[in-house]
Amino acid sequence: MAEYFGSKVEDIFNTMPERFLPEGVKGVDVVIGYDITGEGGGKWFITIKDATLKVEKVDALPKCSVTISTDAEGFVGGALGKIDTGEAFSSGRLKVAGDVTALLNVLPKAFTPFQPVVRAKAIVESMPARFRADKAEGQNLKIGYDLSGDEGGAWTVVIKDQTCTLKEGLDADATVTMRMAADVFVGLNTGKIDPGAAFGGGQVKIDGDMMAAGATAKLFGKFVAAGAEEKQGEELIALKFLPKIRQRFASGPHLGMWFHGLKNKIMYASKCPVCGRTQIPPREVCAVCRVRCPEFIEIGPKATVTMVDTAYYASPDPLTGHVRQTPYAALFMVMDGATPGESFSHELNPKDIDRIKPGMKVRPVWNDIRTGGFKDLLYFEIDD
Amino acid sequence: MSVSARNVDLTHCFVEEGSLSLPVQAFAGRVGSKFIISLRDQNKILGVKCPKCNKVYCPPREYCEKDLTKLDENWVELANEGVITNFTIVNYNDKHLPRKAPYCLAMIKVEGADTPIAHIVEGVEVEQVKIGMRVKAVYAKETTNTILDIDHFEPL
Repeated sequence: MAEYFGSKVEDIFNTMPERFLPEGVKGVDVVIGYDITGEGGGKWFITIKDATLKVEKVDALPKCSVTISTDAEGFVGGALGKIDTGEAFSSGRLKVAGDVTALLNVLPKAFTPFQPVVRAKAIVESMPARFRADKAEGQNLKIGYDLSGDEGGAWTVVIKDQTCTLKEGLDADATVTMRMAADVFVGLNTGKIDPGAAFGGGQVKIDGDMMAAGATAKLFGKFVAAGAEEKQGEELIALKFLPKIRQRFASGPHLGMWFHGLKNKIMYASKCPVCGRTQIPPREVCAVCRVRCPEFIEIGPKATVTMVDTAYYASPDPLTGHVRQTPYAALFMVMDGATPGESFSHELNPKDIDRIKPGMKVRPVWNDIRTGGFKDLLYFEIDD
Repeated sequence: MSVSARNVDLTHCFVEEGSLSLPVQAFAGRVGSKFIISLRDQNKILGVKCPKCNKVYCPPREYCEKDLTKLDENWVELANEGVITNFTIVNYNDKHLPRKAPYCLAMIKVEGADTPIAHIVEGVEVEQVKIGMRVKAVYAKETTNTILDIDHFEPL
């Protein structure tokens, strides 16, 4: 299984039960799906209900309240804080479908942050770096580690002339060989298992010089997990919160008329009673003559393109919050029947991006289901 | 047809209700963090002293406003008592406010500091609060990692 920043995707899911905080999710009822691509990825979903957690790995995701899709490296990096999830989101690397608010509210309260899982291999490989030469004067030792289990392996640590080297495999002439399960080895090195109990209880078997086994401890500095050392630094305070602002949007008579028109596939402009110019979408006042414009006229539906603005940056769509597919293009156009110079802006059907040019005629494409909202008019396309 | 007082056709007017939520992270900064942590863990009010002009800032800040000297290494411990230099009475209720109206919000210059800090004054009728009144800090039982780790000030 592939590792990213020293951790695997499955580590994050496997540690969820122990990181779960039932008091943080009282009254929460949510199913979160994860679709993680790339090596070491897969599909998982977690169910949080009645302050209990269920984590399941599946071939196909069931219906979820919210689904997170990203690649394995991005997922692990995000969990470890190595990759900025905000950036991953705006660049489209991380996609969230469904109830985003529920996700932002639930996850920080449901789990303590993921800490890298310490592996036996990482502990053994750090031994030369942790070696304390000043304590090893006159020592000539070969210490074998025979660790069983999925995360196990066999290594020999050679201490000679106040230097420490590591090699894979066991030597027949080792001073001492210690045999144990890899997770026991990890527990001993991270302080989670009491050495007395492990040695006394038979979890560790020692072949060879018992005294040498006892002497190894003082030859090495304490093992510190990757990432754990950073927490020793200065404490900084940052408060995270999710303010909710209630909003009320009143259409007013002119935009009300505009949306009423869209519902019926009609585009209305307001017409100035003094200068005769049209404004689309309609506005209550002509800003040139400073008079009210109560009169509506029907314009379009076709238009002449004056300018095209093509975007290649995957920004979030402010109307939906979803990351837009790139490239996309905005059109500026003069509707048929509108005053020249009064341009209207809308999106272009992405299929026409390669062909569109100023001066071309375009026509609107309407949504089949129209509710009197901004989604009623989908986009414009080349009229040919 | 519904018509407004100005004879405008309101037939197609509508109102859309919505809710905006944006995740926010407020960072106290290095200097602000140290100030809050001291309130939280030691119940001590810290300030910073300008080594050039000797002005003592509380709440602490990174640079002296007079001579722009960097101050963040020059911490001084201040008293838990101070004097009210100014105050207002909040007479309306709102969700974001820390207390029910009426309550007193005062500028308090703690002993040893040259600048005042804004905080709530309790334990006295709002009508009785006076400029020059001496008050002491009462610490909160539970931390919020904010200035409200001092729950309020009360008269000595």
